Amino acid sequence: MSVEWYLVVSALVFAIGAGGILVRRNPLVILLCLELMLNAGNLALVAFARAHGNQDGQIFALIVMVVAACEVAIGLGLIVAIYRRKLPIDVDELRELQG
Amino acid sequence: MSLETYGWLVVAFPLAGTVLIALSWKLGPSKLHGYVGTLAIALSFLAAVGAFFELQDLRAEERRVVAVGWDYASTVGVDAQLSLLLDPLSVFMALVVSGVSMLIHLYSVSYMASDRGYTRFFAYLNFFVFSMLLLVLAGNFFFLIVGWAFVGAASYLLISFWFRRTTATAAGIKAFVINVVGDVGLVLGTYFLFKTSGSLDFVRAFDAAGDFGRNDGDLVAGCLLLLVGAFAKSAQVPLHTWLPDAMEGPTPVSALIHAATMVTAGVYLIARMHPFFEQAPVAADVGAILGCATLLIAASIGLVVTDLKRVIAYSTMSQIGYMVMGVSSAAYAAGLFHLMTHAFFKALLFMAAGSVIAAMAGEQNLDRMGGFRRAMPFTFGCMAIGGLALSGVPPFAGFFSKDEILALVIAREDWHVVLGVLGFVGSFLTAIYTWRMIFRAFYGEPVEPARELEGGHLYHAPEHTNPATGEVEDTDVGFPGPEHHIAEREGSMKVAMALLAVGAVFGGVLQIPKVTDALHSFLEPTFHDSRFYEELEPSDGLTWIGLAVGASLALGGIAVAHRLWVQDPARPAAIRARAARVHGFLVRKWYFDELIDAIVVRPFAWIGRFARDVFERAVVNGLFVGGPTLAVRAGSAAVRAVQSGFLRYYAALLLVGVTALGLYFLIAAS
Repeated sequence: MSVEWYLVVSALVFAIGAGGILVRRNPLVILLCLELMLNAGNLALVAFARAHGNQDGQIFALIVMVVAACEVAIGLGLIVAIYRRKLPIDVDELRELQG
Repeated sequence: MSLETYGWLVVAFPLAGTVLIALSWKLGPSKLHGYVGTLAIALSFLAAVGAFFELQDLRAEERRVVAVGWDYASTVGVDAQLSLLLDPLSVFMALVVSGVSMLIHLYSVSYMASDRGYTRFFAYLNFFVFSMLLLVLAGNFFFLIVGWAFVGAASYLLISFWFRRTTATAAGIKAFVINVVGDVGLVLGTYFLFKTSGSLDFVRAFDAAGDFGRNDGDLVAGCLLLLVGAFAKSAQVPLHTWLPDAMEGPTPVSALIHAATMVTAGVYLIARMHPFFEQAPVAADVGAILGCATLLIAASIGLVVTDLKRVIAYSTMSQIGYMVMGVSSAAYAAGLFHLMTHAFFKALLFMAAGSVIAAMAGEQNLDRMGGFRRAMPFTFGCMAIGGLALSGVPPFAGFFSKDEILALVIAREDWHVVLGVLGFVGSFLTAIYTWRMIFRAFYGEPVEPARELEGGHLYHAPEHTNPATGEVEDTDVGFPGPEHHIAEREGSMKVAMALLAVGAVFGGVLQIPKVTDALHSFLEPTFHDSRFYEELEPSDGLTWIGLAVGASLALGGIAVAHRLWVQDPARPAAIRARAARVHGFLVRKWYFDELIDAIVVRPFAWIGRFARDVFERAVVNGLFVGGPTLAVRAGSAAVRAVQSGFLRYYAALLLVGVTALGLYFLIAAS
């Protein structure tokens, strides 16, 4: 199979993730959408690695997974903190940093 | 010790006195400060005497010694050195300044004794003497200007000495502003002279005076600007209005700065710069004419002023008018001779006036004085001696000096004769206003303070008031404080006045026509390059006529004053009523204050208001400050609007941005 199909899937998944981030307000869902985007990226990296016949892209994908794990740890921590402080679970309500 | 050492010591002692007194203010006001100040000036006087003898030991053509301390700046053709020029003229001035200052310091030791600012007073006074000696001994234009500005500052400090008195602070500001006009004139004049002579050093600049053409444009401009400086400092028309107001200062200050020393600096300047003025007769003529105008204007105002100190102040202006007229007409020795005798008798008059004012508990109005003759015999005697010397009655000092100026001015034989005759008119007026003042203060019915003083009690005002405006003042700043000091009761005041009285009586023996010639021959080395110094000599007939006319005018003036204010005291009021317009014109001081107000003060005030209300608000605040503020505010408002706090909005921006960037690279790559 040529690399284009993989890239099309990857772009689709990325678009779903990005759209989810833009339209959803629940921080938990936004985190999930972020994961989708990262994994779309991973798919593209692995596809390219296979197309080029070397391992670089795969190594990148592994690193992205590590970063994603860290990000999830922090993101979930933030969500727990929001919950603990009895703040609304809604990113539109959390806008104290406006200029 | 060498001449140079003496020269430096003359300047060093008053400076040391200033520093010592100023640093020891914490000891509180004590007579010690006064004595230290007096001692510093006395040592300076002794050093000047030493310099005098050293100078006399030199051969006549060598009596022009420059003592160089160090090079202050020597670059691109400018030679500014800290140097003193020791020649007969500067040593003569140093002797007069330090000698009279010493006596006035001695007088102040008692006179200012109850002032809370006693220490400050003596620090200022010593600083003034230091500046004045720097001015007269300076060996180049650079330090002349420094000394010139220093005495202006000292004058300001001392006029405003009683700083709670609003009239005193206003007078100080007025004096300072007019003096700064003079400073600017002096600096610009120096520039014009430097342009051609190429040296700031007096000796080299004077030697180069011949390089100027006669009445060369630069030279005339330079000399006229020097005259602006001299006129501002010496209170000559039209820059004279500060001097009467300067009488707000303590009386010893009036005696020292505004009669004996600082105001004669202009006369010194013209005499010092004589090589230039002789090359620029136009400028010298302007000086002579304005000096003559000043002596008449001031004498006429002196006839109607009712403030005791202001009468003497106008008299000072008038007498300096004689000196300026003299030195501008090449009667150098006569002008400087009058400078010396004037320092004696005018300081004496001011001291006596201070004593009367103390007896009146600060009151200065002649209308409220009278009959002090028996209560204050010593003060009366001093005032009478000063008055006789000022009016030019033989054989007092002023007789010889004033008549010598007039005789020499007339001996010029061109239109200067008119100036000389006007000078005789002035000397008649001088006798009248001087004796009007004395008769009104000492003759007539004794007023209450005089009666109390005769009973042995010094009058104290129930409440202290400003003599100029009559408003009640607090006595926190000291004098006019709880105690007043009159010459009859204070030894040091008596000594100072007695010594000056001796000078006022016998000062004339230095230059009796056809008999003695001491001052003229002493000053000769300074003026050896003058075209007039030796040649200008009144004929015998002119000399004797001048002396006779001068003496009879003086005695006649005194007789008129006696007739008007002693024999027939109702007459002056009648004359005043008949000549009400003239009287009003003189009381308003020829409207000079109003004139300067209209020509200078109002336009500048208008410009100032315009700058504040229009320029400052519209251009500076509106454009320069407001413009950038507006831009930054608009920019930050736009940037702030982006920071909405909506997370998803940020994400969208990021996405759009990255997409746009990616598209750009894609398009650019294809």
